[in-house]
Amino acid sequence: MTSLYNFSLKQKAEIFRKIRAFFDSKNVLEVQTPHLLNHPTTDVYIDSISMQVNKDFDIQSKYLHTSPELEMKKLLANGSGDIYQICHVFRDNEQGSQNFNEFTMLEYYRLGFDIHQLMIDMSDLFSVLGLTQETTKLTYAQAFSTFTDIDILNSDFNTLKKIANSYDLCTDFEWIEDLQILMFTDLVEPKLVQYPLCFVYDYPAEQSALARVEGRVAKRFELYLSGVEVANGYDELQYAREYQQVFAQENQQRSKLGKTTFSQNLDFFQQLKNPLPQCAGVSIGIDRLISQINQI
Amino acid sequence: MAHYSTSQFKNGMKLILGGNPCSIISNEIRKPGKGQASNKVKLKDLITGKTLEKTFKSGESVEGADVMELDMQYLYNDGSEWNFMDPNSFEQYSINDSAMDDAKGYLVEQDMCVVTLWNGSPISVTPPNHVMLEVVDTDPGLKGDTAGTGGKPATMNTGVVVQVPLFISIGEMVKVDTRTNEYAGRT
Repeated sequence: MTSLYNFSLKQKAEIFRKIRAFFDSKNVLEVQTPHLLNHPTTDVYIDSISMQVNKDFDIQSKYLHTSPELEMKKLLANGSGDIYQICHVFRDNEQGSQNFNEFTMLEYYRLGFDIHQLMIDMSDLFSVLGLTQETTKLTYAQAFSTFTDIDILNSDFNTLKKIANSYDLCTDFEWIEDLQILMFTDLVEPKLVQYPLCFVYDYPAEQSALARVEGRVAKRFELYLSGVEVANGYDELQYAREYQQVFAQENQQRSKLGKTTFSQNLDFFQQLKNPLPQCAGVSIGIDRLISQINQI
Repeated sequence: MAHYSTSQFKNGMKLILGGNPCSIISNEIRKPGKGQASNKVKLKDLITGKTLEKTFKSGESVEGADVMELDMQYLYNDGSEWNFMDPNSFEQYSINDSAMDDAKGYLVEQDMCVVTLWNGSPISVTPPNHVMLEVVDTDPGLKGDTAGTGGKPATMNTGVVVQVPLFISIGEMVKVDTRTNEYAGRT
């Protein structure tokens, strides 16, 4: 029996066994966190699926998690040590042939790692899973300079708009990061097809999300398998106030786009009374990963 | 005219871009893990016939084009204009030479064609996929030759030149595929 992704149930189970054995051997603990949350994600372009539930005759709004990230970070801040989770995540308003409202995610955190150590660790995991091809590493700026003549880190919004115009791309954006992302999607991503495994790292600071910023760049990476985006990793922010800042900014951006905004996730900030230990974390789309393993 | 959001885009939808009516050929949605979704759209400019590629951010709206495709019968050419009739309304439309493009090489009187109207005026004509044309000029035929051993050019009664098998001679009716300008048989 095959699914939409053309892999068998047995193969998926085998991949899970290998992932669990890999983390067991490294003393990374498997955890499960709640999928039904009181707070939706504030991410500007990811929407939570909301629902009404009844408890003690009371109607409450709940949200399916879009990623186990914040719940796992509560555990990290409370001394869990290295952890991983394999779970289904849920997102509203997904579109496109590679996007679904529900998919399988592997999320893991390694204490004391930076993104470069984490990328090496992931390459080890992938070779256990059968992806033994050569790994390529490009900075975001290198990816642009290799395939275009755009100096992405040193181009302001107006300069980028002019360049985008010359490529007949849409330029009607509120923020520079949206244009950077569109240019990456259109001008760089199609060229990454030539690399079986390619890490792109050091994103422009405007795209920092929940990653640590160092000068002009955010210590973030994405993994492309033959041009398909499969993973997204960060040098994690450690302090509650840093998260508070990001969420507030995301809420502002959502409001500007006419999207719903959300109250503060006070529970999360309380759980981060002790900061996160210095760590790096990554989320990996398992369904896309398996379909790539099968294509090689 | 109505505006269409990217979420309503589908193949064949007609939009105004750069002042010209365009038809959507393909529409690919890209949604990065972090960041705004966008649509990469291939379109055919219905005036110039050129294919173009445009990127829209998801949610953006674009003006629709009032384009209709009607089945019409080709009546006659009066020297400068080509005349068609809508068999339902009996309304007649004249199309000037420049909008006719390649279609004029395949128009046989009484044949049904698809005429594209933009804001009520004809902008292009698509002939039937196959038409029967008469050979008016070609080199003498060779007896015993079968199709598949090359061919020779033959001029049709409409002026178009088509590669035909060697056994075809002047005065014969041949079937021509108008999309590829290829010989497609004798009956």
